[in-house]
Amino acid sequence: MSSQSQDLVLAAGVRTPWARAGGAFAREDAGHLGALVTRELLARTGIRGQDGGGIAELIAGCVGPPHDQANVARVIALRAGLPQAMPARTVARNCASGMESVSCAISALRAGEGEAFLCLGVEVMSRYPLVMNDALTGFFDSLSRARTPMAKLRSIARFRPAMLAPRIALLEGLTDPVSGLIMGRTAEILAREQGITREAADQYALESHRRALTARMSGRFARELVPVLPQGARPGPQPGPQPGTQPGTQPGTQPGAQALAEDDAIRADQSLNALAKLKPYFEKPDGRVTVGNSCGITDGACALLVSTRAKAQSLGLKPLARIVAHAWTGCDPARMGLGPVYASREALRRADLSWKDMDVVEINEAFAAQVLACLRLLPELDPARVNVNGGANALVHPVGATGSRLLLTLAHELHERGARYGLASLCIGGGQGGAFILERCES
Amino acid sequence: MIGTHATLEIVDGLAWITLVAPQRSLPVLDLALIADLETAVTELERRSDWQGLVVRGREELVFAAGADIDAIAGLTDELEARALIERGQRLYDRIEDLRGRMRGRMVAAIGGACAGGAFELSLALGTILAVEDPRTKIGLPEVMLGILPAWGGSTRLPRRIGVPAALEVILQGRLMGAREAHRKGLVDRLCAKEDLWRIAGELARGTLPLARRTRGLAGLLVDRNPAAIGALAWLARRQVRARTGGHYPAPLEIARVVPQAVLSSRTSSLHLEAELAARLVVSPVTKHLIRIFRLSEEAKGLAKFADGTRAQSPRVIGVLGAGVMGRGIANICAERGLATRLFDIAPAALDTALFEHRAAVESKLKKRRVQRHEALAQLDALDTTAELATLTRQELVIEAVAEKLDVKRKVFRELAARLPADAILATNTSSLSVSAIAEGLPNPERVVGLHFFNPVAKMPLVEIVRGRATSEATLRRTAAFALSLGKTPIITADCAGFLVNRLLGPYLDECVRMLEAGVDPARLERALKRFGMPMGPLELLDEVGLDIAAHAAQSLHSAYGARMQPCGTLERMLAAKRLGKKSGLGFYKHGPRRRLAKDLARFVTQVDPALARLSEAAIAERALLAMLCEAARALEERVVESARELDLATIFGMGFPPFRGGLLAWADELGPRERNARLAALHGGANPRFEPAGRILAGCMFHAG
Repeated sequence: MSSQSQDLVLAAGVRTPWARAGGAFAREDAGHLGALVTRELLARTGIRGQDGGGIAELIAGCVGPPHDQANVARVIALRAGLPQAMPARTVARNCASGMESVSCAISALRAGEGEAFLCLGVEVMSRYPLVMNDALTGFFDSLSRARTPMAKLRSIARFRPAMLAPRIALLEGLTDPVSGLIMGRTAEILAREQGITREAADQYALESHRRALTARMSGRFARELVPVLPQGARPGPQPGPQPGTQPGTQPGTQPGAQALAEDDAIRADQSLNALAKLKPYFEKPDGRVTVGNSCGITDGACALLVSTRAKAQSLGLKPLARIVAHAWTGCDPARMGLGPVYASREALRRADLSWKDMDVVEINEAFAAQVLACLRLLPELDPARVNVNGGANALVHPVGATGSRLLLTLAHELHERGARYGLASLCIGGGQGGAFILERCES
Repeated sequence: MIGTHATLEIVDGLAWITLVAPQRSLPVLDLALIADLETAVTELERRSDWQGLVVRGREELVFAAGADIDAIAGLTDELEARALIERGQRLYDRIEDLRGRMRGRMVAAIGGACAGGAFELSLALGTILAVEDPRTKIGLPEVMLGILPAWGGSTRLPRRIGVPAALEVILQGRLMGAREAHRKGLVDRLCAKEDLWRIAGELARGTLPLARRTRGLAGLLVDRNPAAIGALAWLARRQVRARTGGHYPAPLEIARVVPQAVLSSRTSSLHLEAELAARLVVSPVTKHLIRIFRLSEEAKGLAKFADGTRAQSPRVIGVLGAGVMGRGIANICAERGLATRLFDIAPAALDTALFEHRAAVESKLKKRRVQRHEALAQLDALDTTAELATLTRQELVIEAVAEKLDVKRKVFRELAARLPADAILATNTSSLSVSAIAEGLPNPERVVGLHFFNPVAKMPLVEIVRGRATSEATLRRTAAFALSLGKTPIITADCAGFLVNRLLGPYLDECVRMLEAGVDPARLERALKRFGMPMGPLELLDEVGLDIAAHAAQSLHSAYGARMQPCGTLERMLAAKRLGKKSGLGFYKHGPRRRLAKDLARFVTQVDPALARLSEAAIAERALLAMLCEAARALEERVVESARELDLATIFGMGFPPFRGGLLAWADELGPRERNARLAALHGGANPRFEPAGRILAGCMFHAG
């Protein structure tokens, strides 16, 4: 076998639209949404689900699997009709979980454990639970232990309304337990240290929306997307335009249809004025990070087929991109936003390439201030090449799924521009960075 | 050990009766088995070295199907029937009376099918233990064959679960799964297959406790209260009459027997059972219903090759076109767990399909017909797409796109290029030729007609249309698919209208002509509903849509010529934009309260006083004789292989009243002479619509013997 046929490639991919949490996918669950993109990928690639087409495993990145689907990957595989004999695992590396699934596949491919892997990123943040606080848990515990009616009464008498305050899994999940900082505060640290102003951050966020809107209007994203009719949607006339969009600014939405066909968080009416009015969210009153210049809470799923080039060809597929190199690095948890800086440098070193070889670059926009801080530390990187279709500021960030989308969007962008190399990276809560370098495959 | 069909062993003080029936794939309670059971009971009555009894099948999931249907079908004499019924009753009574001779319990250890007489045996034993397995099916389906449970079922079930629940079970005649049967009280306890015989033994010995469910206050207020029972019986009879139009005697008798069972003695209740059942067994209705039951069983053979092997049913399905038919087909496929991909270019239609599918599954979930995880699997089974190119791995694709030859050929050409050569391409066309659609395609042997009826979920028939090139393998696999959907397939030739629409055409046309000639539309509708049709003809036309009906009539006319020339009313209605139900106005005015349109007199072209004076019976007969002429021709042309299949198609495809046995059975009941005399009068020497053909011309019966 020639060395080229041993190349590892992104053979194909598809994703759902990214939907603001509490919106279209509020009643989905990760297993269902993941199975849907998996079936769509199998259909588009012509891989027969029943015999699995020689896929060795399904690996799903997910930060917060539903409590009844701890190994959500297995649920997805079975609901997608993949063979029972095919194993499936769920992997997590916080915001890079979707990328982690690809990283796992690469290791397995290199170890000869298979020729093709289904790699997913899936997250339904809408369904993150509210958790009973310890006081309430203790209350129920003592009530269940009480044997006599008197003891029961005594237990009940200990009830206090404050016990009803839930712990919010979403907020606690976005807080690093080691540094004690919620993610937004790590971005505030970077903003202060790197001298990023509120205006610069807002300006960046506005540009992200502008670029994302242009991409959506041009139908650029349509190739990546499968429309989804959300669970819980009711038949009837189409509801009015999504909040934050103006009537008539949703080109490509399907006439008369209620399926979500496009990322719904991109704001056509975003303006500096509107952004300036928002109060700092994490550090009041002087902070620079607002909900307007951060990524939003989101739901979505993305499936990638990662295989050897030979396997992709034997499946009759034209691969999207070759995986040139990737790297994971660690850094200070309080400055986790700088992860892309270190990871990118390491990936470039491994690929023996330099920034000027990179025609397009994705740096996940967890926070506008955080991306700007990275750019400040990477003077050799031309900002015009970064996040050309906007980023998580506009498209938002379903944590476990974003890594997969960055790779899919980057691979398509290489074809869009006829470019050769591209790099996708993101920062990871807890102080890590991840970066992948892709090379366009001839179509 | 004694007996061969049913064996008796007494081991360690426990008696085991095993239903063996070695010569049958599924045991039925035939005379040989009953004789062996009688011997076993005599032995048990004689001996006293046993303290509990288990009746079991030869395997955990093989119990017994019920009474011997062939034996029932062969009964023609009421006295003979009564003797057979009473023999079974006596046996079951003796079994029930064994209870006084022992300390333990008498347990029926059931799994797999346990219906009718087999379940009545379980009732007599008293304690019922069932395997929790999807293959377990329990119930009293006698009503479906026009009879009532007469081996004590109509007496013992109401005593066990109360009159209201027993009425529901016996009147519906539906077989239930183990869980539902347990919930309703038909079964006392569920267990795993591997534990069945052990637990049955322990229950019989009395070493295992069993919670007995009682009806509590309801038992006191309803079951012991003659006034309440009387009211229940009256209500049940009223509902039955409303539902069956009084055409079926069995449900009425059930509504009579079941309520009194809790008030009267066992002897008198069983006496009533036997008397009524004997009368029903020999009635023509029962004969027809049994014949239909066997025909639909025979239809299951269509999935078999000549060498007896069963064709593989496709598991990955594509449906093209999300119109009413496409949506319905996709829905039932996904509900059976088949991976289904529905294509349409209009995203809004795809949304509608998903909404309808979700509503259907959710309603089953609400009625607890499925469990939550099963419902989720059914929801996941349906995907939609606006890109035909994503149909890449389907084993069977059913197209239900626009009825245009070039459109259908185009989508099939596109699919043929991508799908494996043995993927079946099925068309749901109703007006185009399957052979024409297949023309020019590579591997035309895989093209077949698969004609569903509207509404897809409800109509039990599908026509499988054999095109000129259609291969045997394609036919068999398509039949296996139809059966896996729970449908009854028939194979028809590739002629215009296939079978059902070809017969409906002249029937509906004749009805509209009667309207044109001045027959009162209300009487017209009533005549055919009284005859037993599920809908009046005008109502049916409105449901179908007048545009579609007119289009079908046109294509029949161009295929068959003068005898199928449609009258002008449909076209006139279409010109006035009356499309039937979908436009809110047709022959009926549709709305919250549907009623015949007041202005139908406008469509009377020329009053024919002779026609306008016809009795309701004569109206129905005229319409059906028009259908019969075409049926004789279709049979002559071998559109279907046999008169039996034609009858089956009329019942399952157009709702021809089952108690009449189908169109041809009805004509045979008239007799060839009477039939031909009436047709001759209608033909009047010139009317092409009543031109005799085939066996009518030959003056013979349609069915032999």
